[in-house]
Amino acid sequence: MTTGTPRPPVRLPWFDVRLPRMRGDITWIYLWGAPLRVSHWLAALSLVVLFFTGLFISFPVWTSAGEASSHFLMARFRFTHFLAATVIVFAGIIRVYWLFAGNQFERWPALWPFTRRNVHHMFLMLKSYATLDPKIQPHFVGHNPLAQVAYTLIYLGTTVMMVTGFTMYGQANPGGFFYTLFTWVPGMLGGLQGVRVLHHTVAWLYPIFFSIHIYLAIRADYIERAGVVSSMLTGGRFVMSHEEFEDCDLGDHPSVPWHTGEHPTWVKPQ
Amino acid sequence: MDGSTLGEHLEERGVTRRSFVEFCTEMAVILGLGSAAAPSVANALATQKRPTVIWLEMQECTGCVESVLRTEAPTIGDLVLDVVSLDYSDTLMAAAGHAAEKAKAESMAKNKGSYILIVTGSVPTKEDGIYCTLAGKTIRSHLEEAAEGAAAIIALGACAHWGSVQAARPNPTGAVGVRDIIKNKPIINIAGCPPIGDVVTATVVHFLTFGRLPSMDREGRPLFAYGNRIHDQCSRRAHFDAGQYVENFDDDNARRGWCLYQVGCKGPATYSPCPIVQWNQRTSWPIGAGHPCIGCTEPYFWDTMSPFYQRLPEVGGFGVEKRVDTIGASLAIGAAAGVAAHAGMTVLHQIRARKSSKQLPEHDAAAQEDSNNG
Repeated sequence: MTTGTPRPPVRLPWFDVRLPRMRGDITWIYLWGAPLRVSHWLAALSLVVLFFTGLFISFPVWTSAGEASSHFLMARFRFTHFLAATVIVFAGIIRVYWLFAGNQFERWPALWPFTRRNVHHMFLMLKSYATLDPKIQPHFVGHNPLAQVAYTLIYLGTTVMMVTGFTMYGQANPGGFFYTLFTWVPGMLGGLQGVRVLHHTVAWLYPIFFSIHIYLAIRADYIERAGVVSSMLTGGRFVMSHEEFEDCDLGDHPSVPWHTGEHPTWVKPQ
Repeated sequence: MDGSTLGEHLEERGVTRRSFVEFCTEMAVILGLGSAAAPSVANALATQKRPTVIWLEMQECTGCVESVLRTEAPTIGDLVLDVVSLDYSDTLMAAAGHAAEKAKAESMAKNKGSYILIVTGSVPTKEDGIYCTLAGKTIRSHLEEAAEGAAAIIALGACAHWGSVQAARPNPTGAVGVRDIIKNKPIINIAGCPPIGDVVTATVVHFLTFGRLPSMDREGRPLFAYGNRIHDQCSRRAHFDAGQYVENFDDDNARRGWCLYQVGCKGPATYSPCPIVQWNQRTSWPIGAGHPCIGCTEPYFWDTMSPFYQRLPEVGGFGVEKRVDTIGASLAIGAAAGVAAHAGMTVLHQIRARKSSKQLPEHDAAAQEDSNNG
């Protein structure tokens, strides 16, 4: 660059050989709106609480000795479970609003990536994960279609959990709001026990999803260096000027300035 | 005796006014009307002509009849003997054979449109219903015939409600409940296997007092009895909230009378008056006696509530039958293990690829040429 003296070689950690150079042609683009990020973290928090309190409700491993009147253990766990349930419903309401108000990656149609092209890309993603070969992996500005299918599945699963959960919740107050709202559910699932079984079954989706989701997000960061993990906090990620994407033509994207947080002008995906 | 009112009939039989009012008070309380309503119930009942009851027994075990005979009532004795005029009942009537069938036909013709039909047992539908026949006809045709002239039908017990044990998988006789056969009559389901006798009595009293069946829930069960879950009325509920559970039937916790949730109690999924009305002249009830509720007032309970000593049903198709939670936990651990393995392999693969080929990640290939970090 400006000085003639060669710089000393950078010592890199053992687990890496070299970092990609950060050059001027890297652009930070704003992708995920604040409502989406808020609902993401509210959901993440409440789902963790819901899963573990749900585990206790299902398998009450701690027993409290002595008089029943001096303990309220299960009741507290159930209260926490219901409290977290209201949080996930709140997060769900925000997400549903953003299905209509968000950008093309956040809107309702984005939840259903089932065009021929997208299905082909899902197979490429699977192949890339199976062969550990990042080179065959198609590039996406937003979620890759395989990830999107997983998120859509989680949205559906969470809807099922809300319906079955509030059905059971309503049983304590027959004739009340939730009881009346969900009278059709036990009939559809062969009684309350059917509702309970479905609630328990879908619950296991979350630990499975969590481990894979967190792993693949970190893995994508490690391989692509685009900052996708922090994108759920900052709202944006990095793109390289010569990088081409399947879901969006960014056009002359280096014109999107670093840190402005402006929405780039999207060109409709092919 | 046919023309007399219930009041006259009881007087003839030497039932005192006092015990009659006691009975009416009890019924008013069970019906949720409160003891203050007892005089109106007594008045309504005393001036009523005794209703004719035809009791059809189909595919069943007679347990419901046994249960109803244990109705707690004052000196009035049994509902079936005094409050109603029971013109036909296989088990209780003295007549048999042709004489019994004749009595039924006569009573049905005479009281057409006004008699109450009590049904216990399920209706077999496979092979044209030959699995249960009576007097040379299938029980289904008996039911249809008797339902024709009935004012209301009381489907008594789980069999008449939805088929009960005969209708459990694989349901070899194609057993169904009354509601699946008769569509054009008011039907009330007194759910349970068997139901509590007092609930039947109270339903009949309601019908006599108000001239209609009591209000019902989505299952057609009377709300006064099946309006709340066992779990929400349970005498052991405090132990549930406290987190005190019986883990084995022979442990100390069982002796202390703790909650039976962990040994498969279906109280949280079951609507029934058991904790309040109780059984056998208020002697006890299953959970009171230390046995978990099996959910017998809920439809399809033999399939959906079993195994009775586990919280959740078993899932077939995995070789060894397993609970949903066991499978779910295995999958979750499997996913975590898979993730760990894949992560390890990814890191190794990346290090090897970058070291050996000296290549940067694909999108940074252009930067490699003037790389200055060795």
